[in-house]
Amino acid sequence: MLRDYVPLLLHIGVAIGFAVSALLMSVLLGKAGRRTRVKDTAYECGMVPQGETQPRFSVKFYLVAMLFILFDLEIVFMYPWAVVYKEMIVESKLVLWSMLSFVTILMIGYVYALKKGALDWKR
Amino acid sequence: MVTLGQYLIVSGLLFTIGFAGVLLRRNIIIIFMSLELMLNAANLSLVAFSRFRLGVDGMPNYNAQVFVFFIITVAAAEVAVGLAIIVALYRARQTTHVEDINSLKF
Amino acid sequence: MSPILFWLFAFVMLVFGAAVVINRNPIASALSLVVCFMGLSALFISLDAFFIGIIQVLVYAGAVMVLFLFIIMLLDLRVEERRKINLVAFVGGLAVAFALFVQICFVVDQLGAAKQAFPSLRAAKMDDVHNVGLLLFTNYNLPFQIIGVLVLVATIGVVVLSKRELR
Repeated sequence: MLRDYVPLLLHIGVAIGFAVSALLMSVLLGKAGRRTRVKDTAYECGMVPQGETQPRFSVKFYLVAMLFILFDLEIVFMYPWAVVYKEMIVESKLVLWSMLSFVTILMIGYVYALKKGALDWKR
Repeated sequence: MVTLGQYLIVSGLLFTIGFAGVLLRRNIIIIFMSLELMLNAANLSLVAFSRFRLGVDGMPNYNAQVFVFFIITVAAAEVAVGLAIIVALYRARQTTHVEDINSLKF
Repeated sequence: MSPILFWLFAFVMLVFGAAVVINRNPIASALSLVVCFMGLSALFISLDAFFIGIIQVLVYAGAVMVLFLFIIMLLDLRVEERRKINLVAFVGGLAVAFALFVQICFVVDQLGAAKQAFPSLRAAKMDDVHNVGLLLFTNYNLPFQIIGVLVLVATIGVVVLSKRELR
């Protein structure tokens, strides 16, 4: 039973080995000079940088990410539907109508988000 | 040999970690992550019971797996709304520390 | 279900679950949560719930954690500054959590079935997506529609809560 996992173990070993050796090589072969505090600053001479080093993240990303999760859930329910559809449609049309009503309910939310301009990237 | 009890203990330990996180941490995002841990601990014991009580056809009891399915969906919807509330709260108060949000405190 | 693999993944899951709570840096917490969910999905797969395991990775590690990271970056959270912790609340919380775990152990100990191993499956092939689908669209059709309404409410809630940014 455990023998089935040997290829997986090999795969993990190769992946870790590659990552470690790539990092190690760059340390060993790279011509990195000694790092000092002054060298790590953005400008070696001139003005002293102030404030945050990273710019703040735009709000648009999180709204799109939230809507993505909600529609991701819809797709999750479609996997089992697609698997059983052929078998169940023979008995009754219920499986078709229940999925259609599910999608219709979610479509209301989609239209609402669209009308509110939640997916408008430019603004 | 792995018994049902071992899975239940692991699930209980995960639930306890999440519970301790909710009680001890004061950062609202960490509290939210701990809530996710607790929900998933419940999922683990549901799946363990599903595998333990086989149906008449000798397959796991799939009712529990449908429940887990629903729990994952509800949890993801809850995350989306909860994080939207946290962002709105941050805009109003500029903090994610729960002790700074005490307007309702008596 | 090999015991070695079970303990390995349970250990990984619990260690990284604890790391979520212990880390001071929210980004490190979020990444620990991803590893914790990976371990949990391996445990699901060890219980022959393949579909649930995949969904766990897809929805949690794939979508929910991305959202968590976005929010942490949006709010620009750094390592928390050390605050004065309320010692009574800290010890009390730890005691309550420990009491909960003792209680869970006690209940599991009382459960007679907990000492039995899992029975082996009597089926030629595991088609759990198929079985979940059959149940979902017969017995659980109404809950399925209600989930649809719930997701609709969540969509509208998200849009309304961030309306200020829109206009």
